[in-house]
Amino acid sequence: MHLARRLPAISRNCNVRLIKTTSAVTQSAAEEQIVIPKRIQRSPTAILEALSATVGRDPTAPHYKFHDDPYLIPTSNVSKRTFAMAQEAGRKAAKWIKEEHRNLFMHQEAQPPIEAFAPKMVFNEESEVTLETLEQLIKQSLIQDAVFVYNLMKTKGVEITAEAKQSMLELLSFYNHEEPMPEEFYEERWFKENTQGQQRQTKTWKDGDLAEQVFNEIEPKTPQAYAAIIRGMAKYYQADRAYALFQEALEKQLQLDTATYNSIINNVNFLKETPDQKWELCKDLLQQMKQQQLKPDLGTLNGLLECISSFGNYKMGRTCALQVLSEFKKLGVELSLGSYYYVLIIFCRERGPVSHVIVDILNEIQGKEFKIQHPKDTYFFATAMDVCRNHLHDRSLAKKVDKLLHVGNNYDLIGDTYKESIYYRHYFALLSQTSTIEEFLETYDKLVPNVYIPEPGIMEEVLKMIELNGAYELMPRFWSDMVIFDHINRESLLLRTLKIMLNNKPDVTVKSQQQLPEQFAKVALDIYNKVVESEGRVKKLSFTGQMIGDILTILVRGGNWEKAVEVFNNIDKNQHRIPGTPSDACLMEFVEAAIVNKSPSQALQCLQYAVENHMDGLSLAERINKGFTLNEVHIAKMKSLVGDSFLKE
Amino acid sequence: MSSLSRLLKSKKCVSNYGQQIRVFSAQASPNGNDVEMDDEEFRVLNLRASNQKQLARREFKKPEVMPPRSLKMATDQDWTAVWPGPRSFHPASVPLPIRQGFTVKGAAPPSKYANAELMKIPNFLHLTPPAIKQQCEAIKKFCTPWPKGLETEEKWKRLFPVDVVSTDYCQALPTIRNPDARRVTITLKLSELKFDDHAKDKFLRLVGDRYDSETDILTIVADRCPLRKQNYDYAMYLLTACYHESFITEPWEESKSEADMENYKYERNKSKLSVEQILNWGNADSSDKREASTGYIESLENLVNGGENEYSLNKYKEEVIKMIGLRQ
Repeated sequence: MHLARRLPAISRNCNVRLIKTTSAVTQSAAEEQIVIPKRIQRSPTAILEALSATVGRDPTAPHYKFHDDPYLIPTSNVSKRTFAMAQEAGRKAAKWIKEEHRNLFMHQEAQPPIEAFAPKMVFNEESEVTLETLEQLIKQSLIQDAVFVYNLMKTKGVEITAEAKQSMLELLSFYNHEEPMPEEFYEERWFKENTQGQQRQTKTWKDGDLAEQVFNEIEPKTPQAYAAIIRGMAKYYQADRAYALFQEALEKQLQLDTATYNSIINNVNFLKETPDQKWELCKDLLQQMKQQQLKPDLGTLNGLLECISSFGNYKMGRTCALQVLSEFKKLGVELSLGSYYYVLIIFCRERGPVSHVIVDILNEIQGKEFKIQHPKDTYFFATAMDVCRNHLHDRSLAKKVDKLLHVGNNYDLIGDTYKESIYYRHYFALLSQTSTIEEFLETYDKLVPNVYIPEPGIMEEVLKMIELNGAYELMPRFWSDMVIFDHINRESLLLRTLKIMLNNKPDVTVKSQQQLPEQFAKVALDIYNKVVESEGRVKKLSFTGQMIGDILTILVRGGNWEKAVEVFNNIDKNQHRIPGTPSDACLMEFVEAAIVNKSPSQALQCLQYAVENHMDGLSLAERINKGFTLNEVHIAKMKSLVGDSFLKE
Repeated sequence: MSSLSRLLKSKKCVSNYGQQIRVFSAQASPNGNDVEMDDEEFRVLNLRASNQKQLARREFKKPEVMPPRSLKMATDQDWTAVWPGPRSFHPASVPLPIRQGFTVKGAAPPSKYANAELMKIPNFLHLTPPAIKQQCEAIKKFCTPWPKGLETEEKWKRLFPVDVVSTDYCQALPTIRNPDARRVTITLKLSELKFDDHAKDKFLRLVGDRYDSETDILTIVADRCPLRKQNYDYAMYLLTACYHESFITEPWEESKSEADMENYKYERNKSKLSVEQILNWGNADSSDKREASTGYIESLENLVNGGENEYSLNKYKEEVIKMIGLRQ
């Protein structure tokens, strides 16, 4: 923004940069040879990259896509998503306007012209289409337009070359006739729930659509055509037909490439039922590759590992995986993170024996920078952290995984927001269970809330840790975090917060804790107000006797007598609506506070409440009698409630 | 007021607490009810009732706002990460108690919050000395060492006398091209080139006003070609061509007469003959010829070329007297 505002001014001033190069016109009388070093070659963006590498991460700042302003920094997972998607919606609206009012955007004043700013071409039956148009559309991956133009060319009788047909087939097979999500909607892709991989893969290939027609039109059938259609079918899990075509190609003695074999290996799970059969088929395919003198690559390895990971038999999976890995190591195939992901899911199973394979993996890849090579590469970090937490329960391993994540550009491989939050969920849960509170707070301060916002479940783990460590002085802070993260409609969190504050009575004699009772009272009052406010909403919270009793006690301890009376009145008034009753200790504390505040009527009201709810009224009555000098009316009232036994000492 | 106390009385009857009045329940009961509760007085028709009876607006609840993040910043934080580039001032991101502007005379300047004065002025928070140091370190790897033997300005001026200047532009326009970027200027001190008299004269005539006699600098600006490279080549070509051309003597240059000369020169002028004639009056011996003194020649040339003034005239007079040997 700021920069953009400054720039017009700069262009007016004109003298922006003055490059002074001294060119060589050497005098012959040079007493010694002057050697001017060669210019160090660099890419156009090298300097920018070098400068940006100097900028570290600021833990207090939000992600750069958000505005750096307290009102506009998202503080909950929902608002993060909302804010980012709002920006995306703006982008979409602009795109829509561009297409809707295309006549306004036909001018091209940019130099060199920016194709993305121009509206898309619109085709109808009358359009003049040539082979070039089709090639252009295929190059831009505009599926629907390409299909339309292809059909139009057919009806008009324009000749389509074999190359154009082949590239058309490749386009349709790759995208399965579906328009891919535009490149510029990166936020949507980041927040989209990626169901692929979580659910069972199902067949989505469009049978009998244009891709197959184009394939049939190609005569004579080339290996490339076979490769394209087989890979397309395999990618969208039309396993049987892909395999049939594969066999057909083999019968015709066509030379297929490694990627096509890989796609069949990926589909072995669909072709065979039992692990043994699957493994046999895999071996067959590998043998065939050997006969055709094809060199297996990373795709082959990951395909095999994926197949092995589906074996129910732990021992067999293990041995097969080890065989495959050693075999590929001999071939010199570099493993990607995706391969390590498969290794993890093969070795570390929920009901299998404990495996320390991750230790070896981490030793192997420590400090290494990875690039994406396989779709499953983004699954590694979340799975590795899962293994650290649930399988091995090892904090130092988790730290190692986290270190690896921050090597170079490895953070790009975290995947999407879903995987990122799984990763941090496991990390935080593990830390809260295994580390000291200081260590945990260090990580917490660094990551929360700008990188990760703990889900209610993790917040509960954190509260448990506080409870265990007796670090109740952190409660006000974590309460404000919970308010900001929008967790306060979770009853379990409220109850635990109250429990911690109730069970840990601050020691007022210690100076650092003098403020605490008051702050606790504030928190309790906050909780009280939230519950009262939530009435009439969809997500309604309701008091229990225990809960409101805790609030009352904390208020009393915090010296907020006025509010305590209000809360008690609420208890008294809504006796029938609130299930359960406050504890005896709670009422006793209230009576004590009534004595301190010299309000016998509240004490009597409390006594009445206790008696009405069949609680221990006698001890309360004794305390009241001792604490106040009561008048006749009061004593009569007490007698009518608990009899006159309290008068006897 | 009266209605409230009436209400309290009726409440008192219900509760059996004697003297104590339960304030809370009284407040809780809606105010509109007391008309119906009281049977003793006439009911009042309130004509303004419809105005007063506004629908209870649902209160707009502001979302919780985080405290400014400057409060959370550590004292040993890396400031270059917080403020990496030029940006308008923002109070929540700058942990400094800055003040700017004025309200009334004598009062302290307004604080940083909601302070437009601070946002208007350009700040240099991104150009702290550590940031500059970091950035210099980062781009050092693109720099080559300074060549050996060129340590002083005098040295490199002597060995590389030609300066080539061109300009790159960075602008907020749809086009990334700026026509002015094609312009190339080369400058050169003329004393670096070797000439004889004729060549220098011819060269200066060729370059015309591109030569500044005061500073002895020749400037060639080339902008007639569309690309910078072409303009550079053209400028270098002009320089080379002019230089070599100046050494060629064309046949027609021989026909240059005294009237075409740009300077008065004693040696080639008729006055030389006249002076020598006067000096050798009556001296027939050709081996012992007297010539004019250098002082005289200088003063004469100065007088004709520099124009007549008191000084040059006096000087001329002195020299003539001295040369002829007259007594003053």
